[in-house]
Amino acid sequence: MLLTGYATAEYVDPAHDSGYFGASFNPIFLYKYRDLVLGEGELEVEIDDTGDTSVALEYGTIDLLLNDSLVLLAGKFLSPLGQFRQNLHPSWINKLPSAPVGFGEDGAAPDAEIGIQARGGIALGGGRFGYSAYVGNGPRLAVENGEIEGIDSEGYAGNDDGESVVGGRLSFAPLPKLQLGLSGATGKVAITETGGGPVLDDPSRNYDVFGLDASYQVAGFDLRGEYIQQKVGNATGSIVPEGGKWDTWYAQGSYKFGSAKWEGVVRYGDFNSPHPEQSQKQLAIGVNYLLAPQAMVKVGFEVNDGLSGEPTDANRLLVQVAYGF
Amino acid sequence: MRNSIKYSLLCVLVVGSALLMNFDARAAEGESTASTNQLARGAKAWSDNCGQCHNARDPGDQSDQQWDVVVAHMRIRANLTGEEARDILNFLQASN
Repeated sequence: MLLTGYATAEYVDPAHDSGYFGASFNPIFLYKYRDLVLGEGELEVEIDDTGDTSVALEYGTIDLLLNDSLVLLAGKFLSPLGQFRQNLHPSWINKLPSAPVGFGEDGAAPDAEIGIQARGGIALGGGRFGYSAYVGNGPRLAVENGEIEGIDSEGYAGNDDGESVVGGRLSFAPLPKLQLGLSGATGKVAITETGGGPVLDDPSRNYDVFGLDASYQVAGFDLRGEYIQQKVGNATGSIVPEGGKWDTWYAQGSYKFGSAKWEGVVRYGDFNSPHPEQSQKQLAIGVNYLLAPQAMVKVGFEVNDGLSGEPTDANRLLVQVAYGF
Repeated sequence: MRNSIKYSLLCVLVVGSALLMNFDARAAEGESTASTNQLARGAKAWSDNCGQCHNARDPGDQSDQQWDVVVAHMRIRANLTGEEARDILNFLQASN
């Protein structure tokens, strides 16, 4: 058994608004039985702006290590679509204090899923082929003011619309330190509630995800980029017939210097939503000081371009202390 | 007659022991080579894969048992093959 995880403390100072401190604590519990089974669970313990503490299950799975190329996971898992959500979001791993635009909640990248997943790696020539395939309950649609405001994909234990989603990611590492990924998911989703209460028998509509990602480490540089989109189709006869597409991409480069104690980061991202107040372009630059490989102080500045007057348009200064333990 | 049997047994023991010692030495040499190869493979797999997402942590930060669990966790996260995971584990446990 191993208790690991990460902790985060930060200060965020948006232009034209009050700065504030925030903190979160993410313990990860790992229980391994021989080379057969691994139990994994991560909690996110967070304080919100009212002072209340929330506890959420980020993921919790039982992993069956069936052979060298196949692991079967059952439970709640981070979405295997793309790279950021499943591997890069922990604060001590993410090189900037914030997630790329569109990779937060209700963005373009799915968060998590509850279901079963098969994944693993297969040696192929001098490289490795990786795969993840899953079936799960799928997302829910957030409806407000007669529109689909977003796609909630945090992983739901219930399946009110009775529809499932299948998806996965294929990756290939043709060279050391180079990885290319292709993700996709498809299924159906239906509106099951609005702010006014539950909705019965709303027709199902198509739900599709498509993503591409790449990362490469060369000559001290860490380069990566990702594109992902979530799309829901139109549904004749629905209380909200019109669907929508949420898509985003980012490109990021970082470089360590000063005996690898310092790190400079630049990231550009562009999130497009059917709702203009959600769309955002962002240039983020940062400097990190590494006290240890898993402990650092990050200072970042975001130049945000969103709808005028919206929070998405406010530049922000962020200072974050992150510790992976 | 009795002496010749004794000498024969002695010869068999000496030659057999020599053969066994030689076999053991060769086996140990083979194991050592295999172990060295696995360490080299593990070091390369660790360098090629772990740094793709995060800063590489000091192998000395964790005990053998802790690395055993961490590497199983990371094998799943990084879609490593079982063989790569074993090589990395061997390298980390030999380096801590």
